[in-house]
Amino acid sequence: MMTFFKWHFIVQRGAWAVLLWPFLFTKCIPLDCQDCPSISQEKLLDRVIQHAELIYRVSEESCTLFEEMFVPFPLRLQRNQAGYACITKALPIPSSKSEIQQISDQWLLQSVLLLVQSWIEPLVYLQTTLDRYDDAPELLLNKTKWLSGKLLSLEQGVLVLITKVLNEGMVSTSYTEQAIFQYDMQLDMLESIIKDYTLFNCFKKDAHKIETFLKLLKCRQTDKYNCA
Amino acid sequence: MFLHIPTKEVKPYELSLNTSHGTSLLKLACLCLYRKKQRGAKMKEMGLLLLFFSVACGKVTGLGPPGKPTLTNCRSPEKETFTCWWKPGPDGGLPTTYALYYLKDNSETVYECPDYHTAGRNSCFFNKNETSVWVNYNITVVATNKMGRTFSDPVDVDVAYIVQPHTPENVTVNVMEDEGWPFLRVSWESPHKADIRSGWITLVYELRSKMEGEEEWEEHFPGQQKTFNIFSVRSGSSYLVQVRCRPDHGFWSEWSPTTKTKVPKFFLGRSLWILILVFSILVVLILAWIIYMNCHSLKHSILPPVPGPKIKGFDHQRLKNGSYKDGLGALMIPEYPPSSSSNDDDLLVEYLEVFVTGEQDISMEEGKEIQDHYCKSESSTCDSDSGHGSCDSHTLLIDKCKETSKDELNSNCEDASEIIELEISQNNQDEKTLSYDGRPDTCNGRVKTWPSVFTPLPQYTLSAIPQKSSLEIVKQHCLSDTLFPPGSMSSNLVNQNESFGPSYWEFSLNSKQLPQIHSQSSKHLQAYSDINISKKDNEITTLFKSTQYVEVKNVNNKDMVLLQPVESGSQSHAEGCPHVHQGKDYSKVKGVNSDKMLLLESGVNVMGQETATCFCDKSETNAMKESGYMSSANVWKHKHPPMQTVLPVQEEQKPFAANGYVDTATMFSTYNSFFI
Repeated sequence: MMTFFKWHFIVQRGAWAVLLWPFLFTKCIPLDCQDCPSISQEKLLDRVIQHAELIYRVSEESCTLFEEMFVPFPLRLQRNQAGYACITKALPIPSSKSEIQQISDQWLLQSVLLLVQSWIEPLVYLQTTLDRYDDAPELLLNKTKWLSGKLLSLEQGVLVLITKVLNEGMVSTSYTEQAIFQYDMQLDMLESIIKDYTLFNCFKKDAHKIETFLKLLKCRQTDKYNCA
Repeated sequence: MFLHIPTKEVKPYELSLNTSHGTSLLKLACLCLYRKKQRGAKMKEMGLLLLFFSVACGKVTGLGPPGKPTLTNCRSPEKETFTCWWKPGPDGGLPTTYALYYLKDNSETVYECPDYHTAGRNSCFFNKNETSVWVNYNITVVATNKMGRTFSDPVDVDVAYIVQPHTPENVTVNVMEDEGWPFLRVSWESPHKADIRSGWITLVYELRSKMEGEEEWEEHFPGQQKTFNIFSVRSGSSYLVQVRCRPDHGFWSEWSPTTKTKVPKFFLGRSLWILILVFSILVVLILAWIIYMNCHSLKHSILPPVPGPKIKGFDHQRLKNGSYKDGLGALMIPEYPPSSSSNDDDLLVEYLEVFVTGEQDISMEEGKEIQDHYCKSESSTCDSDSGHGSCDSHTLLIDKCKETSKDELNSNCEDASEIIELEISQNNQDEKTLSYDGRPDTCNGRVKTWPSVFTPLPQYTLSAIPQKSSLEIVKQHCLSDTLFPPGSMSSNLVNQNESFGPSYWEFSLNSKQLPQIHSQSSKHLQAYSDINISKKDNEITTLFKSTQYVEVKNVNNKDMVLLQPVESGSQSHAEGCPHVHQGKDYSKVKGVNSDKMLLLESGVNVMGQETATCFCDKSETNAMKESGYMSSANVWKHKHPPMQTVLPVQEEQKPFAANGYVDTATMFSTYNSFFI
């Protein structure tokens, strides 16, 4: 874990450096790192999966907290109110087992990365909106903050994993395409609540998706891991 | 198909009226209508009434649209398919059909359930192709009949969250051993439909066990592994085990069917068995060693030896050998009559053989340490305490003393020849006294030849007697059973022509043999004596088959006890008195000298008056014995003043003075208890 954070720190710095020049440089992760201890792919994958499991668990707790606190009872069962679809719905992500089994490892990892990256901003937004509520519990705020931090770590880990598994130095992503999320501040209370509630639910779902994808990836390496 | 499924159902009017009510309503409506019509009511009111009427008519039959169904639950066993069940409402009396419609993920497309049958009644099964994970299904059930349709409340379902797997399969429990202690190894398999291999589902397991008969289960969490060891297991009891599983985010499955195993009793490991074996071998060895060390004492305690008659100072072996040649024959006990049966073979005959041998043979004892042991040769078996030597009463004296041959007699009694000095007096002239020197610790046992003088009790201290034990004295009695006829004695004595040489009576007990008189005496001294020696408080029972007596005639002024034989020619009381000896020679006690020697002298005074009390048959009744006793006593008394006691001769002369008789009757009457 410690080595991973250290690695994450370096990678993050590198990522930020790259971000400054989005047109000239695509996101690259420096591969040659003299001070960084190398980590095996197996261990890396395990750690990534642990991250994903944790994120899912915390997101589930946050969603439950928010639902109990703010969402009126009649609205609780309808998670997908009209107009508020999950932000990641448009992403080309397989959603059935048969589909998933057909795609390759690379694409699986790419999907994971997409998901992770698309949720970084909304989580930041959620932190701000929760401050608007008068009686938002401290626990919820802490969890939300934790989630956004952890998601960043997860992103970095997945990036490293991609380079290891795919042996690709570069991952080209369209950063702008991920800006699906629309900031809308002029919402009344109820709509805001509904929107936030939808956000929590969608995030929970996507966290579960990420976790599942990573586990599938892990068990695909059948020689190394025993998933049976 | 519905383009829009309203979220709130539109409920048609429904009245829950039974038939009777409907009938009354109908009547009322018709009545109202008729009156309204009569009064010319407006159309609006007419319409209302009509409506009311139709409702009433409809309710008369009890029919109506179906009740509202409810979706109970939806479950997916492996996150690839799922099933939804609903509960129908009241059907309104008409055949009702149910349909399930769903929307996927907020799209506007309404789909109907593809499969109503696979999962059973009132269910809808979504197969793999129709199942999308992480997609929100909005499901509604519609009940339809002739009268209308009813919609259920919609339910949102995401397949990822409704996973409830099947129970784990093939739960096996094996009893295994870990260093001698048993434990249970539980193993199972995942439900066959769950796809764990690809990682699509990750299952965690839970296990619970309890001993048969217990109330509470003991829970264990193996996690994602498929085996588990239960260590707290008791031998001899049976255990029940159940397993269930759950996906990482989902519902617990049902518990598997109970698996039962029995742990065998005394499930001991190999090392424990070896320890037990070694310990038991050690214990056995120690026990064997202890037993071996205490072999003899154990033998004695478990199988105590049979005590036999034993008389101290009485050499059984020598007695058996018939080597008691000295004057035991003189110890005549009238209570024991000789055996009436002339059949020698029937009786274990021990007879005393009295004979007088040559010069050196006058010693009358064997020279044995009679007091200490009886039969030298049989010391091992005839030790003074064990009574071994007396196991066989009949043959006791015969067998055990057989070894004491005459050689022993002679050799051992070489010294003893001096002990017993019998002064054989000449018939008429010389009073040869047979002095009996009862030297202790020598062959004294045999010497006692004069019964009247020598009593079994040690208190009768006649020279040689005092130190003797009771057994010895009995021996003396035995051996004195036979009485050498005075005649023979005298002849012997005469022949020997010795004045003070030791005369030696050799008494031998021979079984079933005619007595042999070693001496030249023509008289047979036969005494079939069945000596039964038992050592009981100095009680001596001796049974004599035939007795002859030497009676003390008198005590002369020299303190000599004169002995004379009982009249041999006298009739015997009982039949079968085998031998009546014409006692011719006898030794009469001349006196007791200073050395405490009983001096015998041969006398030929035959007291014809006396009756020989011949106790022929030992099996005589007591009465007869008594009579015998008494008769003899009477006779004696009659004829002679009885001699009450036999006292040291020195002391009392008077009793002897009269006729030399010792009232043996009185003597022996005191011993009736012994002899009877």
